[in-house]
Amino acid sequence: MYWSGLSAAANAAAAYQTGQTGYPVGHTPTGTYTTQRAAGSTYDTGYQTAAAAAATHSTAAGTYPSAAASATYDYGYGRTTQTAAAAAAAAYDSSKTYYAQPSTATAYTGADTHYHNKTAYTNAGAYTTTSRQTTPVVTPKTSYTSTYPGAAAAAATATYNTSPYAVQTTTANKATALPVYMQQTSQPATAVAAVKTPGNTWQTFKKQGTVPNKTQKPKAPPKPQQLHYCDVCKISCAGPQTYREHLEGQKHKKKEAAAKAGPTPSRHGASLRCELCDVTCTGADAYAAHIRGAKHQKVVKLHQKLGKPIPSTDPVVVGGTTKTSTTTAGTAVGAKTTTSGTTAAPTGTLAATTTTTTSDGKKDDLKEDLLDLKEKDVEPVGQEYIEEIKNEEGKVISFNCKLCECRFNDPNAKEMHMKGRRHRLQYKKKVNPELVVEVKPSLRQRKLQEEKLRRQQLREEMWRRREEERLLEEEERWYWEERRRYEEECEYLDWCRRYPRGPPGPPPMMPPGMPRPPFMPGMPPMMPMRRPDSSDDRHVLAKHAEIYPKEEELGAIQKIVSNTEKALKMVSDYLAEVDAPKEQHIKPKAKKEKEEVPKDDDDKKDGDKKEDGPPRMLKGVMRVGILAKGLLLRGDASVQLVVLCGDKPTRTLLDRVADNLPKQLAVVAPEDKYDIQRVVEEAALVVQNIGEQRISVNVTLTSPIMREQLLHDGDSQVTAVKDPPDVLDKQKCLDALAALRHAKWFQARANGLQSCVMVIRILRDLCQRVPTWGPLNSWAMELMCEKVIASAGQHLSPGDALRRVFEALASGLLLPGSPGLLDPCEKDPIDAASPLSAQEREDITASAQHALRLIAFRQIHKVLGMDPIPPPKFQRGGRFTRKRRRDNSTGEGNDSEGGDGKKDKKEDEDSKMDMDKDTNSSKHLMVEGH
Amino acid sequence: MRGGMIRPMGPGPHFGPKMKQFVPRLPFDMVLCESAFPRVKAAPDESAFTQALLKRNADLSPTPAEQAAVLNLVTKIQAVMDNLIVDPGNFDACSSISQQIEEVRQVGSYKKGTMMTGHNVADIVVILKTLPTKEAVEALGKKVCDDLRAQEPQEVLVLTMLPNDRGFEISNSEATVRVLVTTIHQNLRKLDPELHLDQKILQSHLAAIRHSRWFEENAHHSTIKVLIRLLRDLRGRFEGFEPLSPWMLDLLAHYAILNNPSRQALPINSAFRRCLQLLAAGLFLPGSAGISDPCEGGNIRVHTAMTLEQQDLVCLTAQTLLRVLSHGGYKQILGLEGNSSIASEMSVWDGVVVSALEKAYEKPPERPPQDDDTDNMDADDDPMETTDN
Repeated sequence: MYWSGLSAAANAAAAYQTGQTGYPVGHTPTGTYTTQRAAGSTYDTGYQTAAAAAATHSTAAGTYPSAAASATYDYGYGRTTQTAAAAAAAAYDSSKTYYAQPSTATAYTGADTHYHNKTAYTNAGAYTTTSRQTTPVVTPKTSYTSTYPGAAAAAATATYNTSPYAVQTTTANKATALPVYMQQTSQPATAVAAVKTPGNTWQTFKKQGTVPNKTQKPKAPPKPQQLHYCDVCKISCAGPQTYREHLEGQKHKKKEAAAKAGPTPSRHGASLRCELCDVTCTGADAYAAHIRGAKHQKVVKLHQKLGKPIPSTDPVVVGGTTKTSTTTAGTAVGAKTTTSGTTAAPTGTLAATTTTTTSDGKKDDLKEDLLDLKEKDVEPVGQEYIEEIKNEEGKVISFNCKLCECRFNDPNAKEMHMKGRRHRLQYKKKVNPELVVEVKPSLRQRKLQEEKLRRQQLREEMWRRREEERLLEEEERWYWEERRRYEEECEYLDWCRRYPRGPPGPPPMMPPGMPRPPFMPGMPPMMPMRRPDSSDDRHVLAKHAEIYPKEEELGAIQKIVSNTEKALKMVSDYLAEVDAPKEQHIKPKAKKEKEEVPKDDDDKKDGDKKEDGPPRMLKGVMRVGILAKGLLLRGDASVQLVVLCGDKPTRTLLDRVADNLPKQLAVVAPEDKYDIQRVVEEAALVVQNIGEQRISVNVTLTSPIMREQLLHDGDSQVTAVKDPPDVLDKQKCLDALAALRHAKWFQARANGLQSCVMVIRILRDLCQRVPTWGPLNSWAMELMCEKVIASAGQHLSPGDALRRVFEALASGLLLPGSPGLLDPCEKDPIDAASPLSAQEREDITASAQHALRLIAFRQIHKVLGMDPIPPPKFQRGGRFTRKRRRDNSTGEGNDSEGGDGKKDKKEDEDSKMDMDKDTNSSKHLMVEGH
Repeated sequence: MRGGMIRPMGPGPHFGPKMKQFVPRLPFDMVLCESAFPRVKAAPDESAFTQALLKRNADLSPTPAEQAAVLNLVTKIQAVMDNLIVDPGNFDACSSISQQIEEVRQVGSYKKGTMMTGHNVADIVVILKTLPTKEAVEALGKKVCDDLRAQEPQEVLVLTMLPNDRGFEISNSEATVRVLVTTIHQNLRKLDPELHLDQKILQSHLAAIRHSRWFEENAHHSTIKVLIRLLRDLRGRFEGFEPLSPWMLDLLAHYAILNNPSRQALPINSAFRRCLQLLAAGLFLPGSAGISDPCEGGNIRVHTAMTLEQQDLVCLTAQTLLRVLSHGGYKQILGLEGNSSIASEMSVWDGVVVSALEKAYEKPPERPPQDDDTDNMDADDDPMETTDN
């Protein structure tokens, strides 16, 4: 409908007979009128008034309503009225008078915002055009050709691009009309029109206009001149014949259709346009190339020949500019007014006007276009990714962009490519993510992309959140885990403070006054595991169970030992009676207590006893060695007892005991038969039972005096002289005393230490099993284990404890240069492992080193000499529980969000129901959390 | 014998049903439990050993001339890089390159002061703002090299690209500077393996920066530097130590010297022995707490970067060398005498036969697939995983 206005103007122009005979413009309007008239509407009436003023334009008024959209009506409405007015003005008559009539104005406005326009027009009609602040008054052009540039300049300065209109009205008379037009254009953002545009603009508004536009046809007939010039194609034809042929030709038709469809700048946003040739270029470079090009030159020449105005080579920006209107009282549109965005050279040719389009309501687009334009002169990026391909002469023949994988032959093309959007995108993607690449200009595309982006973001957001939640959860779990452990530790420490050295299990069961140490302390030590046993633990525990003596073995040993002890007591009584008949049966009790007594301070106590009166020869009997320490293993058939004598034990004493012992044994255990041998060189006698299990009890005679003498060597020279001639082997006696101390040490230190006894048993087994380890004496081994395990500073599971012992050995605990194992039971600093030779130490260390790595690599069974233990079976139960629960929960999850809560509850129940399984399943959960 | 069976139900502290499966534990460490092992006899005189260590260190340290040469080259390159950062305007073709540099940092042995003679290479890490393409690395190399040449045209500079495009080397006749390229953190996830450098490489370069920073703050003690040099030398001469990364050695040296009850630096002889003791005791074996990486979150144990087989190998080598050392073979260990066969072959020291050890690691046997429950079970129990978390 703009164009109806235009056509009106054109009509007027035509009516003026500007003398431009060949001007095809004149034709189109009529065409349009007719077509549009078909769609008559209520507006007609409104128009009629206006139309009435100028009879010729009644048609125009009629056509107007054909623009279907009501919104467009508004614009069109005002405009048409104006066109009408313009036409009226153009009608040579006193346009003033026409406009002066207010009635016309009111007639068509009917609540229209554009009504204001009319008032403006009236002003315009008065040649003043004062109504708009911003609208410059464009001086009417008097001559089509010559004044053109001037007009252009004027137009250029104007914020409103009125030039197209100005161009159209070429006569002097137009002076009146022109301002009107200008105002009109400044109105609703309509563009323009021109010969070709009518259909075009129409279509833009109609959105692929459904109304068939026949207007082109009438335009086609040429007005034969000496030159046959086709305005659409910008070419001249040699003669009418060729001209006609041209018009019929494919090329022309195409162009025409293209013109009808209107320039499609929106695809790329702003683009540059050569008005003269009607060529749209995507960028300044392309435009420059075009201007330089042969085709353009030809057209220029032609135009020169024709005497047509040649627009400046400044490009016309297509795509429009936005402008917010200054809504003064006089202005037309309350909202924005968009004008055709010709910045520079408005062309004199009508053709030129065709190019200008304004897309109303596409403000966003326009803004982008502006942006786009700005970025046309961005820095080229990614030069380093463009490879120069040279021919054999070394001349650069083409370029290859590695980012985009494309080639160009022309340096210009290369430049363009580097500025291009595609390249920049690639660069952004592959090289510098911070590079700003302009947003895709197309509205729809952009919307689609935005949509896509948003969806993607949402998705990412969701994943991120989920991940975060997961992490948080994990963290929390870790936190609680740490916390729990910490609390355990605290609790444990508390416990330890209350019960020093006690295991965190049941409090130590040994009251201080207990007459005898437990026969086998800590069988399978019922110490709670702080952690569930690892594979190593399981192996160690299994091995331990394997080497631990059977019940009947223990019973047998227990029996023979206690019988021997009782018999020895009776021997002692007997000897005491013989030596000093006064003394009655008081002593035996003391004897038994003695077992406890030396624990504190044997030397002193014994000294005290001596003072009691005539000394008893046999003061007491004590268990030592594996028996006292509880290190009996399966198959052990030899235990040791030590009899403390009042004086240095002599062979005579040994004989007396050996003689009397069988009698006493017969008294104690009449049904059992015992065989007793004297081993004088060992300072011992051996009691053996006669039965299936041969168990021997070595009874060594010793006396603390032996050691006292040794300790106070200087003073005791006299006593040494006093020694009876048949005193037993001194070293053996001393060893027996040491064994006594070791037993005491063991009960004080090792027994209470978690995992320690177990590890010592395991190592005892190892020493017996593996020849390399044979030389390691048991005292050194016990001492070492205790030190190593105690020095860990924390409680170790059996597996960890065993590994730590191997670690210590592997790190060279026995090697020369190490601190050695200081024997706590000797006054002088002595290495408990001193009997080991350098080679033995080396071999044991090497073996331990290998064993350590075996343990680390899950082959502890090789170290322990057993078969690997598969993971316990009931573990599976735990697993299944969990699996089942998992399955269930998925079932539950379907019905509600509260499934989680249910799951938890269920889990709780599960855990309450079977404690055994619970450990495993919860442990699994933990492990999963890792 | 799983937990539930032997858990006491009686009084005493109750432990929650949740139990942590695998708590790594530090191996036995004599230095940490010295009090439990009072010396039986006076410590042997180790002055000869100490002297040998110091001599070896002196041999390994770069000469002043080398240091000057490398310092010179580093300074120049650093200046060129700084120029590129400060003044991205002075470009021609490499415009985008110069704008890409975020930061330039010296890392590695040069920065830490643990360089060794004959290996006059300094490391510099360049952090690009852009995604590190191979072309960018190349272009940067060229640009830096060109700028250097422009400054001193008479100097002969050789530009070599490093394998995997991790960076480039610029060397003159006396020194080499290795420029390693990486990118800012945000870019790491945008990497396309087709186009850009390997993410692992980039991360390792970023880690190198953290490492040198940590080192500066924590390990500036000169004994540590001496020990690192000695350990590196050890690693170079004994094949079994090959899997130990420089970073592991840094941490090990730091640990061996400073992680003791008194928190005073141990003398070099004790520290050197302790390194071997720690390794021999399985500090870097599965199930050990090892040394957790101070520059990574999440308590990552550094030794888990090695495969199980490598962990076995490292431990085994250390164990053998420890025994050799304790029998007086320090000259062979330090490379002052003999060769590296002591780690792999039997040797006799003062009548004591020291035999080499065998590998303990075995590839896990293939399990039948339907047994996956047990399999998972084992994995749960398994303290042998190479990486935590």
